[in-house]
Amino acid sequence: MMEWALILGFIAAGIRTASPLLLASLGETVVQRGGILNLGIEGAMLMGAFSGFMGAYLTGNLWVGLLTSIIAGVLTVLIFGFLVIRINLDQVVSGLAINLLAMGLCLYFFRIAFSQGAFPYLGDLIGPYAIPGLSQIPVLGEVLFNQTVFVYIGLIAVPLIYFLIFKTSFGLRLRSIGEDPVVASYLGINVSRIRYLSLIIEGALVGMAGGLLTISMFNVFDSRIVAARGFVAVSIVILGRWNPWGALGGSLLFGFTEALSLWIGTFLVGPAAPSVSLLLRMLPYVVTILALLVGGRKVRGPAALGSPFSKE
Amino acid sequence: MELKLTKSTVRSIYKAVISIALALVVTSVLFIATGANPILAYYYIFVGAFGNLNLTVETLVRTTPILLVSLGLAIAFKCKVWNIGAEGQLYMGAMAGTITAVSLGNSPLTLPASILVAILGGMAWAAVPALMKTKLGINEVITTFLMNYVAIYFVQWLLSFPFRSPDTLFPESAQVPQAAVLPILLPTTRLHLGVVLAIAVALPLVYFLMIKTTFGYKLRAVGENPEAARFGGINVSRTIFLALVLSGALAGIAGLFEVSGIQFRMRGSLSPGYGYTGIVVALLGQNNPIGVFLSSIFLAAIFNGSSTMSRVLNQPQGVVDFIQGVLVIFVLGSEYIMRYLEKKGVFKA
Amino acid sequence: MPLSPIFFKKTKFEVEKVSNASTESDSVTRSDHSIFVRGIRKTYPNGVVANQDVTFSILRGEVHALLGENGAGKTTLVKILSGCLTPDSGEILVNGRSVRIEDPIKAVKLGIGMVHQHFTLIPTFTVAENIALSLSLSGRLNLDAVKGKIKEVSKNLTLEIDPDARIEQLPVGLRQRVEILRLLCQDVDILILDEPTSVLTPLEVEELFKTIRRLKSKGRSVIIITHKVKEALAISDRITIMRGGRVVKTLPTISTNEAELAALVVEGFASSLRVDRGKPGEPVLMVKNLSVKGKRGEMAVKGVDLVLHAGEILGIAGVAGNGQKELVEALTGLRRIESGTSLLKTCDLTNRPPKFIIRKGVSYIPEDRIRRGVVLSMSVSENLALKNFEEQPFSKNMVINRESIDRYASDLISKFGIRASDPCATVSSLSGGNIGKLVVARELSNGANIVVAEQPTAGLDVKASEAVHQKLMELRSKGVAALLISADLDEIIKLSDRIVVMYGGKFVGEFTHDSLDIQKLARLMLGSA
Repeated sequence: MMEWALILGFIAAGIRTASPLLLASLGETVVQRGGILNLGIEGAMLMGAFSGFMGAYLTGNLWVGLLTSIIAGVLTVLIFGFLVIRINLDQVVSGLAINLLAMGLCLYFFRIAFSQGAFPYLGDLIGPYAIPGLSQIPVLGEVLFNQTVFVYIGLIAVPLIYFLIFKTSFGLRLRSIGEDPVVASYLGINVSRIRYLSLIIEGALVGMAGGLLTISMFNVFDSRIVAARGFVAVSIVILGRWNPWGALGGSLLFGFTEALSLWIGTFLVGPAAPSVSLLLRMLPYVVTILALLVGGRKVRGPAALGSPFSKE
Repeated sequence: MELKLTKSTVRSIYKAVISIALALVVTSVLFIATGANPILAYYYIFVGAFGNLNLTVETLVRTTPILLVSLGLAIAFKCKVWNIGAEGQLYMGAMAGTITAVSLGNSPLTLPASILVAILGGMAWAAVPALMKTKLGINEVITTFLMNYVAIYFVQWLLSFPFRSPDTLFPESAQVPQAAVLPILLPTTRLHLGVVLAIAVALPLVYFLMIKTTFGYKLRAVGENPEAARFGGINVSRTIFLALVLSGALAGIAGLFEVSGIQFRMRGSLSPGYGYTGIVVALLGQNNPIGVFLSSIFLAAIFNGSSTMSRVLNQPQGVVDFIQGVLVIFVLGSEYIMRYLEKKGVFKA
Repeated sequence: MPLSPIFFKKTKFEVEKVSNASTESDSVTRSDHSIFVRGIRKTYPNGVVANQDVTFSILRGEVHALLGENGAGKTTLVKILSGCLTPDSGEILVNGRSVRIEDPIKAVKLGIGMVHQHFTLIPTFTVAENIALSLSLSGRLNLDAVKGKIKEVSKNLTLEIDPDARIEQLPVGLRQRVEILRLLCQDVDILILDEPTSVLTPLEVEELFKTIRRLKSKGRSVIIITHKVKEALAISDRITIMRGGRVVKTLPTISTNEAELAALVVEGFASSLRVDRGKPGEPVLMVKNLSVKGKRGEMAVKGVDLVLHAGEILGIAGVAGNGQKELVEALTGLRRIESGTSLLKTCDLTNRPPKFIIRKGVSYIPEDRIRRGVVLSMSVSENLALKNFEEQPFSKNMVINRESIDRYASDLISKFGIRASDPCATVSSLSGGNIGKLVVARELSNGANIVVAEQPTAGLDVKASEAVHQKLMELRSKGVAALLISADLDEIIKLSDRIVVMYGGKFVGEFTHDSLDIQKLARLMLGSA
């Protein structure tokens, strides 16, 4: 019985760690379907994490934190949008620039907000919310329906994003832009507008993913808090073949890897334990690289992904 | 060194000047908001960077790792290979070099051997994403960045366990032997041989390589149009591979020079993000070695000067992070401003 | 603008009336014109005047051919009509009302739609998805309704198509049909087809002409652009000839003939090109049982044998996508050879890197010269040395000798008449035609034994095309062997000493210039013997 509880606890933890990856990779799936490779997602997550933290810290209100993280995510991604859509700059460089901007701003403003040595901590603003009825289902109820609101948002977003991409006219236009923006624009589709819209959707999801790191997972802010989750999310989009359900699968895989690397560490005993648990921290990154090695080659993504488009 | 001022060079200079000016203006607003006089702030930044001989030397010492990293990144970026793993390559190079130095002890070979191994370490770490890119077509941006984390955790582990210093309490390596230390060239300062090697050897070499050789030609052709380059008989994969691995080599040297010139031990905190600063510098310098040189002095000066300024004006530390962040956006945004000015006829297109 | 059946009837009636009247063309009143344009002028940013004082009309239910050489201004005119370009001056009347056509959407609203030479379809989408894209739907995507509409329209005109087929799996002829269907689904009644036959095989052309006739019988008007006199005569009711951006004349088809039209099209330009046959010598390139995979891993070239002789032009005829591209890429080292061999005299070229093959004297003029032929941001001289910058005197021990490269470039610039301000100017400052010249200059001045020319005259005007043909024949007389791949069957027939037909990755027939049977060739191109 003890083992059962442990395993269920682990699965629930895996889903929890997967949720920021899920939100971020869903957002990135949307923009990549429209032909934009946004590597600035790491920075957008960081901005979301910082703003969410500040919002929640200053007001003590979870929902304010959520809102500020979404706003920050959207604004950051829109700067990226300005660079790649309006000025038509290289998407990779623009993404990197956004990451550097976010790093610089968050580092500095955090120092301005709190004196050196201060260690601001968010109380437990958010606990798991057991969905009445569903959470009573044995096993499934415990791992799936006794989670934080962020997990529910992520899980609901999967079919919604799927519907948006594949079952709406917006999605059809978005995908056509991702395949050939020149043709799409000739057919009267406003490429910039649709791309900006897709970026706004991404910004909200990615900002929220960042906010959930500070508000719900760690309760503190650190400029290294995102820890490449944005880039892992981009890898998930590739591995998930630009499909929201694929993104769900990929996020769970990496969420569980991350949870596993922490989980094993807590169970180790003996003199080698600290050494091994430190080594295990490399695991999520190594697994991502290995996954790309296996599933990331010769994939056929949106044909125009990453290539610039100007109306001339 | 001849510096031909072609139209595009002049344009690059305009862009750099515009972006620096804008970044400083935005930073001034920040200063005003935090209750500092911007003119005074910039004055103290300048004084802190170049106020006396010792401070100037310190700025050059700070320039060294930034210059080495960004020269390497300029090579990679010229070929449109987006290596954002210089941080990890720096750590792996420094770690490998330190292990070599410590295990060789005091021998005349120690310094050259540790430099060589640091180069190999940086190259090897860059070779993994380079192979994944050229053999399997896997995006190098993702892999180089993820490998930074692997490198930093790996180095932390090495320093915490197998190579932990026997004589201190911190997770750091043993002190490198005297023979591995880069000699000081100006007594009472920290001006070590590495500074001269970076500015007087690495810089001209990279300039020559990029501007005067067939390899430089290939870098540009592959960067601008890989398909045409392949048609012209250029081995695109090999060029990309070499570009990435060379940038790893330079990052590795940068790391080792920090150990054997400044810290004398390998530490988990060796680099305050030189691998990322290098990206800003390479972009600001428009991948031109001379531009990169000037840009790295600029950022090193802000790096050092801002800590003086923070002390004197009682400002929060690390305004350099802020400047770096907005600078890189303006470097990109300056293209828009230039186009606007050209349209208005302020500059000739 | 939905058309009611009554409207169709009325249109038909008018057509009859018009075709009587149009013999005395001036008696046609304005209201009979679906489109009437007057005094159109268009100058491109680079200063080229593409249209000057163009007056043109299309009547309801007529097929109107716009005839002229490349660069005559035909495409510019129809791009203005379809809203892709806006004229500098001039008036456009649609059904008697003066209009401004700002964009293609507006054109479609006015009932004018265009099928471009380069299709505007998304290859990974299905037929229905592609058509849905143009129907400005919103909200939930109802593909079933779109499919219903397609079925209805295609049934009406017997233009069969599977709405669930993916575009990339359809042959070119059917893709063109999708483009036409798309316009019809948008209730377009004036269809403009820009060089529709250039990508088709003769049998597909027949099929297209049938479609055009059916469209006409349903009251639609069709403007067909062509540079082939015979085609204009075969399909149209009236023909407008353009030359140098001006309309030369509009004639009813029944009252003219091939000779008159040909004279009007190229007046003032007497072809100086004398096509003679080569005297093939020793075999230089021997290809045995060559198999090559395509982009998606399918076998694109299946066991091809080929012998190319010195002083010979060998034409490869075939519909695009039958393995020609893969064959060429395999021969130039750009694509892996799965099995078989490629020998240059005694030297094995099989799976050698491009550089090795270049050094052995294999030149290659790629079809897409801007994407594959040049590096736009590099200088003219650097581009001219793209294939030999690693050789002396252009570089030595990896160090580049800029002076010698510039000298070499200046020489080629004057020899080939490339219009560049100086050798250090970037290629991006050159016009498309001059970029073409640059590539040809580089490829033909490199001491080639073999020239592989892929659509060497695509996008060039008559004079430039002749210059390229001239150069190819000059090289042939010097003993250079040439492999000519062209979608333009006329070009292949004109130049080749020998023609092989490629279909489904195999050579399915061979003709010498004298034994040529065009009917048979056409059938072979479609895979039916």
